[in-house]
Amino acid sequence: MTKAKKYWKGLAEINNNPLVEKLKQNEFTEEIPVDEFLGDKEISATSTSRRDFLKFLGFSTAAATLAACEAPIIKSIPYVVKPDEIIPGIANYYATTMYDGHDYASVLVKNREGRPIKIDANKSAPNARVQASILSLYDSSRLKNPLINNTESDWNTADSQIISQLNKIKQQNGKIAILTSTVISPSTKKLIQNFTSFYKNVSHVEMDSISYDGMLEANHLAFGVRALPNYSFDKADVVVSFGADFLGNWLNCDYASDYTSNRNPESGEMSKHYQIESALSLSGSNADERIQIKPSEQSGLLTNLYNALSGSKADSRILKIVGDLLSSKGKSIVISNSNDVKVQTLVNAINDKLGNYENTITLTRPSYLKQGNDKDVATLIKDMNNGNISALFTHNVNPAYTLQDSVSFVKGLSKVSLKVSTSLYNDESASKMTYVLPDHHYLESWGDANPSHGEYTLMQPTIAPLFNSRQFQESLMVWIGTSDYHNYLQSFYKDIDWNKSVHDGYFTKNTKDLKVSSFKSKIESFNLSKNTQIEFEMYEKISMGDGNQSNNPWLQELPDPISRACWDNYLAMSAPTARKIGVTNWNVSNGALNGSLVNITVNNKTYKNVPVMIQPGQAVDTVSMAVGYGRESAGKCGNGIGFNAFTLGNGDAKIELLEGEYEFAATQLHHTMMGREIIKETTLADFIKDPQSGNHKETYSTHKGKQPADMVTLWDEHDHSTGHFWNMSIDLTSCLGCSSCVISCHAENNVPVVGKEEIRKSRDMHWLRIDRYFSSDMTKELSAKEKVSPIDMYSEMEEPSVNPEVAFQPVMCQHCNHAPCETVCPVAATSHSAEGLNHMAYNRCVGTRYCANNCPYKVRRFNWFQYSDNDKFDFNMNDDYGKMVLNPDVVVRSRGVIEKCSMCIQKIQKVKLDAKKSGKRVKDEDAQTACSSACPTNAIVFGDVNDDKHKVQALKKDPRAYKLLEHLNTDPSVFYQTKIRNKA
Amino acid sequence: MNIIKDMIQTKYFKKYFLLTILFTFSIKAFSQEDGAKIFKQNCTACHVLGETKLIGPGLKGITEKRDKEWLKKWINNSSELIASGDADAIAIFEEYNKVAMTNFYFSDEEFEALFAYLDAPPVEEAVVATQAPVIAEEKMSTSTQLMIVALILLIFIFILTSVKNSLKESLGQETESVTEAVKSNILLFLSNTFNKLFVVLFLAIIILKFVYDAMMGVGVTTNYQPEQPIAFSHKIHAGDNGIDCNYCHVSARKSKHSSIPSANVCMNCHASIVEGSIAGTTELQKIYDAVGYDPDSRTYIEGYEQKPIEWVRIHNLPDLSYFNHSQHVTVGQLECQECHGAIEEMDVVKQHSELTMGWCIECHRETEVKMEGNDYYTSMHEKMKQKYAGEKITVDKIGGLECGKCHY
Repeated sequence: MTKAKKYWKGLAEINNNPLVEKLKQNEFTEEIPVDEFLGDKEISATSTSRRDFLKFLGFSTAAATLAACEAPIIKSIPYVVKPDEIIPGIANYYATTMYDGHDYASVLVKNREGRPIKIDANKSAPNARVQASILSLYDSSRLKNPLINNTESDWNTADSQIISQLNKIKQQNGKIAILTSTVISPSTKKLIQNFTSFYKNVSHVEMDSISYDGMLEANHLAFGVRALPNYSFDKADVVVSFGADFLGNWLNCDYASDYTSNRNPESGEMSKHYQIESALSLSGSNADERIQIKPSEQSGLLTNLYNALSGSKADSRILKIVGDLLSSKGKSIVISNSNDVKVQTLVNAINDKLGNYENTITLTRPSYLKQGNDKDVATLIKDMNNGNISALFTHNVNPAYTLQDSVSFVKGLSKVSLKVSTSLYNDESASKMTYVLPDHHYLESWGDANPSHGEYTLMQPTIAPLFNSRQFQESLMVWIGTSDYHNYLQSFYKDIDWNKSVHDGYFTKNTKDLKVSSFKSKIESFNLSKNTQIEFEMYEKISMGDGNQSNNPWLQELPDPISRACWDNYLAMSAPTARKIGVTNWNVSNGALNGSLVNITVNNKTYKNVPVMIQPGQAVDTVSMAVGYGRESAGKCGNGIGFNAFTLGNGDAKIELLEGEYEFAATQLHHTMMGREIIKETTLADFIKDPQSGNHKETYSTHKGKQPADMVTLWDEHDHSTGHFWNMSIDLTSCLGCSSCVISCHAENNVPVVGKEEIRKSRDMHWLRIDRYFSSDMTKELSAKEKVSPIDMYSEMEEPSVNPEVAFQPVMCQHCNHAPCETVCPVAATSHSAEGLNHMAYNRCVGTRYCANNCPYKVRRFNWFQYSDNDKFDFNMNDDYGKMVLNPDVVVRSRGVIEKCSMCIQKIQKVKLDAKKSGKRVKDEDAQTACSSACPTNAIVFGDVNDDKHKVQALKKDPRAYKLLEHLNTDPSVFYQTKIRNKA
Repeated sequence: MNIIKDMIQTKYFKKYFLLTILFTFSIKAFSQEDGAKIFKQNCTACHVLGETKLIGPGLKGITEKRDKEWLKKWINNSSELIASGDADAIAIFEEYNKVAMTNFYFSDEEFEALFAYLDAPPVEEAVVATQAPVIAEEKMSTSTQLMIVALILLIFIFILTSVKNSLKESLGQETESVTEAVKSNILLFLSNTFNKLFVVLFLAIIILKFVYDAMMGVGVTTNYQPEQPIAFSHKIHAGDNGIDCNYCHVSARKSKHSSIPSANVCMNCHASIVEGSIAGTTELQKIYDAVGYDPDSRTYIEGYEQKPIEWVRIHNLPDLSYFNHSQHVTVGQLECQECHGAIEEMDVVKQHSELTMGWCIECHRETEVKMEGNDYYTSMHEKMKQKYAGEKITVDKIGGLECGKCHY
């Protein structure tokens, strides 16, 4: 009855296509290249039979198995003569100074067995780039030998050639120029003077990659002092910043701790911070109120503000600012990022009018960190092109990359006969020089610094030079026939206690205050601009700075705190502008972010195929792009990433949408909290009324009535009554998102770098991430009021506001006391300690990733690959030099295991052991994690809650304290403090 | 007969016997031992008992070469003797670069002891003779014991079979050889299913046990005793000369590593002790090659390129486990020997303990925490005493078994 049904695989088969018939016969669609293999005469000539092959195979397998049983012989090689100060296994700390021409910090360097492995704060809190500079020391892309015409040579040859040419130039009275970054070292300045008096016709030109010339000139004109003032943000009740990212990169000063010290909600007083800017900066995202303007509007608004302070009508946008400024005269700061002398003069006039000078702004004891002179640089380039410069020496600068008009610099270079660069890398500028002389890294150098009036810090070598390098100062001395910079430096500071100062890393001199004339300057008025063009502005990223460390994989992989993207720069654009142009961003199937490509033309310079990221907070009709990318000679890791924004310069932009898409690597793909209380926040006014405001616990309905989660628990409690109970408090009010902790964690815990491709697959390995949330225009309250349907409400909630409120939240392993990860691990590789920590035994982990699935905080990281000694991940862990930065107390994880924040257990164990050995109790300040010690604002406080005297105990009982996703009752050892904004 | 046999086998006899031997030696050695002590404490810095020159001449046969009274004067105050115009004294003074010898002022008894020692330098054989029988007695391994038992059992089987055979013979039954008897008995035993099962299970368990032991032994390197680049003897240094472990392994009290001493530590003594007691100068020369030292002129060679000594590491913990010496030595107050065995008796060091996790944990379960007198523990101790009333507070009770304490 039934007839066997016939199924066709397709129409082709039913139509009896001969191809289908042929394919049916063949097992493989393509012919296997058997002939190619068998045709090899050498193979057919051998007498090895298949049996022999199997025998060999069997033998080698057996041999390999047997060999594996044998333990390898491990050598232990002690010193021949052990230096007294080194005890293997115990770290030494050296105080030194970080200065690379851009960033400055007084730091403490942790050394293990002669290798610097970590940077901690000494006098100033090191930012992310300073922290990461320890890895730049071990960069194998650094210059290893002197280069003459791009071939390796030696110092004697280079020196003798340079000296003979210098003497020739001296006889001919040729002009010699030394182009350096700002020199903050008094002894180097003296050496340059010595050099000048030796070779006569020498000019010293200083340049900053990000120029502050406008400000310096304005101060010179108005007060007779060509220096930058020191700002006291701790004394300022009102801070008004016109585009100056003082919490990020502006002036490269550590203002964060001062700023937060005056923003303490417990005291009921918080400074009021207004930020008026176009691109969303770190300062802007922390501001109490942020006003979006176009860059061209700044001067007009400042004029308006200046006039309004005298009573004229204020622009509606700054009405509140005028009132606040007038009510706190002498206790406010107004700053601007403009590099225009006239604008900065206006800012000076405003501050003078408000009586801020010598109250919150000190010019009598100024900062010397930036002294670059644009006019001098322009003159130098003109002279070079006119053939007036016979010799050019560069140090710590990369003008062929950082100058907007780098083309004319390079052109002028060809007319200079003696070109010498002292540099760490054979970078864009150095590679165009005749002599490229490897400079010491600052960790290999002696040196001094005079960051601000009367303050001095010293630099000492923490490791013997890794390569055949010599520091710039030594070279200067050799060329004038003297030697030994170390002795020179010591005799330069004859009047101080040398040993003590080197030990401390700093000293102060009782110098008289500078004489500052009272404000006198012509003030120019600006009209409010009505520019309808799209305006372009370049900015500095927290991670990359001016790009001098762009070969540092830690920094490349550090997510930008605002955009959360890494390994890239891009054009940031606001959503309305994007809609107008037709630019879109979208997520592909694995969640990764893609974006449109455009051509952009600014100041007649065009970049093609530039990716656009839609950035909430970016002012409408403005675009911005970070500098520090687009390097060509940075090294294997920094080359060819993004575009060089320096060459564009600020100005009007023409943007043209292209076909095609770009793949971003972003570590956060969702930007709003969708109405959940992940970050709890309130305003200062509400907080004063009710300290619990914004921090109300979610409750469950039970038979006993409404109960908070911890009262309806199924968990057995761990006994934490004896011993330590480590807890961490993170204050969201003082967390500024600076990412210093992230790099500190990398260095301390051997966190691997995985590269852009892996980040795109959400396989980032950061143990500590800083989540950033934007506010949305849609809220649950609003939807209830306006009767918006839930579906519409949620889809609108996904969209951040055009000018959103921003909040940062560092999230690491929360060390839950009711840990969801521990219960699901099939091999008990993760377990709980009596001290309240969630342990992770890598060697026990079999890689099921159940724990990562069950973690509500998503802080567990899986090693998809072996990231060390793997050519596919050619970063610092695949490099003999790069590996020297690894912390020997922490295991380098292998493939197939989960890893996560251990609360720096190696540091905890060390502190405990030190206490046990000395028979004393653990001191509060000693127990620190890498993140807590790196935090410039003390937002992260770590300690023992069982210690009655420890700050963290009080913080745990604080009405602001809350636990992340508290309703899940995971009872974490990490808790947060409600974010408080100073707004109505 | 039996009584004498018993006597030989009793431990008492052995003890008395050995003591008598020792005693006969010690009568003669009494003053000599004193002399040895004096020699070691005062003379070894500059002299050896051989012919080699150190700071001063080698002292082999010195008591025959010089008059004892002259020697006494020289040792008590050499400069006085030189000043008195003694020709020999002046000659020696000149020969050794006019370095005056330290004045010692020994008593006559001390001189007697010293001369007795110098007359007859240490008798190595005596030590060997007294030790040899002890070693032989103590070293009967388990396998030898088992073999003896097996032998006895075998003899039993023979005896019983022959008894049985002779009985059978007397009854006129067929006799059977030993092998036949064993075979038939085994077959009889195995004809029972339960017995068969038992044997199979028994064998299976034994095999499994062997496999398990073999697997657990992978990577366990107890008794690992590699050859070192220098035949350094802990027995001579730590045992015979009683040098404190911490003198060379300085960082054991302070750091995670006990650290192999750098060659400059060796040179503290071996700048003057240029001849060893086992290998003479060959092994010491390796240190001198490392640091660049000329033992003849006793000077360091200028501009020498120093070569570190590549010791073979014996105790290899894998990277995944963190171990800290100071935690155990300083805080836990353990003796080195508790983990490393009788190092002071080893000529060539070997790994004494298993260094497995089970071994660590076992110790952590049994060892009591030394909390008394350490202020770090004081408040914790009070609470723990209440919590574990009457129990010992062992390392595991303060978290010594938690994964993260060693693995991070």
